[in-house]
Amino acid sequence: MSLIEMNSICKSYRNIGFETQVLKNITLRINEGDYVSIIGPSGAGKSTLMAIAGCLSQPTSGEYFLDGEEVGRLSDWKLSRVRNEKIGFVFQAFHLLPGVTALDNVVLPLVYSRKTPSNIKDRAREVLAKVGLEHRLHHTPGQLSGGEQQRVTIARSLINNPPIILADEPTGNLDSRNGIETMKTFDKLVADGKTVVLITHDSDVAEHADRIISIRDGEIASDTASQSPAGSSSLSENPK
Amino acid sequence: MRIFKNFRQALRGLKLNRGNTLLMTIGVMIGISSLTVIVAIGFGIKVKVLNRIANLGFGPESFSVIAGSGKMFFTRSKNITSMSLQDAEDLLALPTVRLVVPRQRKRMQVINKKEFTSTRVYGVTPDWQRARGWHVVDGVFLSDNDLDRKKKVVVLGATPARKLFKETEDPIGKMIRLQNNYYEVIGLLQEKGLTESGYDPDDRALIPLTTSMARLTRETHLHSIKVVTLDASQVPETMEAVRQVLRRNHNLSIFTEDDFRFITPEGIMEWVTESAQAMNRMLILISTVSLLVGGIVIMNILLVSIRERVREIGIRRCFGARKSDITLQFLFESVLVSLLGGILGIGLGLSISFGLKRFDILPTQVTWEPFVLSFVFCTLIGLVFGIHPARKAALMSPEESIRS
Repeated sequence: MSLIEMNSICKSYRNIGFETQVLKNITLRINEGDYVSIIGPSGAGKSTLMAIAGCLSQPTSGEYFLDGEEVGRLSDWKLSRVRNEKIGFVFQAFHLLPGVTALDNVVLPLVYSRKTPSNIKDRAREVLAKVGLEHRLHHTPGQLSGGEQQRVTIARSLINNPPIILADEPTGNLDSRNGIETMKTFDKLVADGKTVVLITHDSDVAEHADRIISIRDGEIASDTASQSPAGSSSLSENPK
Repeated sequence: MRIFKNFRQALRGLKLNRGNTLLMTIGVMIGISSLTVIVAIGFGIKVKVLNRIANLGFGPESFSVIAGSGKMFFTRSKNITSMSLQDAEDLLALPTVRLVVPRQRKRMQVINKKEFTSTRVYGVTPDWQRARGWHVVDGVFLSDNDLDRKKKVVVLGATPARKLFKETEDPIGKMIRLQNNYYEVIGLLQEKGLTESGYDPDDRALIPLTTSMARLTRETHLHSIKVVTLDASQVPETMEAVRQVLRRNHNLSIFTEDDFRFITPEGIMEWVTESAQAMNRMLILISTVSLLVGGIVIMNILLVSIRERVREIGIRRCFGARKSDITLQFLFESVLVSLLGGILGIGLGLSISFGLKRFDILPTQVTWEPFVLSFVFCTLIGLVFGIHPARKAALMSPEESIRS
């Protein structure tokens, strides 16, 4: 069974009488353990697709099954639960809570989860160690470098152990060295059995994935297997 | 529990947005402190009025005639010298009058060797005791003989007696000084104790009226006359008769207003109720306005704060916060802020109230009501004025808030 199954997804925005169709008839299947890049120029509808995939917004028409559950018409409560349990977000601009320590930022998804492990802090330390930040637990985002902040973000996306990681331009705000580090982390996550969906306009980053979906004007232009297998990226060999 | 988690997130939110928290707290603090002060002043004035009433010691069949025109306790003309002993005698001659007590009153120091205290000294006649029904516990009361011979004798209330004499000492027969004359203590009044309003009826000393006229005030006019009728139902007709006698005695033409005024038990009750109601209406109005202002401050700052915190809200939503979680968090923030402002406001209000009393600017009386009121109102303000910003925050689309 596919983890993500989209059938004829359309999304349009109404703006002062004008209706703009951002996504047109997207049909897409992503299986468990897939490593997928969604690539396309800005304005192509990548972010809207990610928002729908992440249950942040709902499609105008079409069906979206996430882990076998039709989420297109769920109530806010159920949708929030799906976001909490099924999806880990990683953002270009990190989106950490300012002034809050790395540890407390990582714990955030557990604040809203149904089942709270008794050893929250231990679990947070564990995931922070996984991204190599065990020495930065009590630093606030302002005291961390960009690369470190992005690793806190990844740790936060992992703490609730969701099957899917959705990353929106994860390397966009990073220098190439930190970009490579971040991409290596994603490669490792896939190796651990996570499903990772990367959204990017950078073809070098996209090349990390096993499968590249190209979006143009709200439609899937191509859906191909990547030339280079995961872990041996051209990015690491030819840094920009 | 989810609600506790939201509560903790609210605490964190307040801590992280210190500037806004401070502004909102100040807004509520000012509202609540003004409420506290206003209520304290209101009660203070009420107590002062009640004291004055208790001071008069009325029964239902009696009323007082006070020199000087005006209404109740507020005289419009001072130094009225028209009321005389002759007036008192003429009033006693009225058929419905049982007793009259002519009276002079002066607050002054009473001295026993090194001990001294300030008390109210009244020049009265022996009928005072019958009119008041107030017993003497030790010694005797003033007699007609004392009055006729203008004797320098005094009957002490319990309060000055306690201040001037040691417990082991028997005041009877001792000499105390009023101005430049020594008076023999001949009796002690039974102790009545503080009234509910905090007025001390025992804080008085009584001397013969004639002595007071000759030596203390050195004036022959009276300050007031208490009239006791045979029956409570006769009070209105007696008042009218008294008015006619006094107007005639004082040679007032029909165009001149009375140069005296009446204080009756009913008049007092009416007046107190009336002024208390007016006072309460004013208090409610002012408090409502000040609390509304506090609430609007909270609402506006929260709205601005939410605009600043769009991204935070978006992040929370991305990681599983429901709309209700966001609503709860912001509601908790606004209730917490208004409670904090309330506590600080009560603190500030109490200090101001005590300050006003301490420096004799206004009479204030601190009671428990503002505490309860503030607690209730602050919670209400937080809820009422927090709900709009909280809902607004919750209804923002997570997709757009993340992109902003």
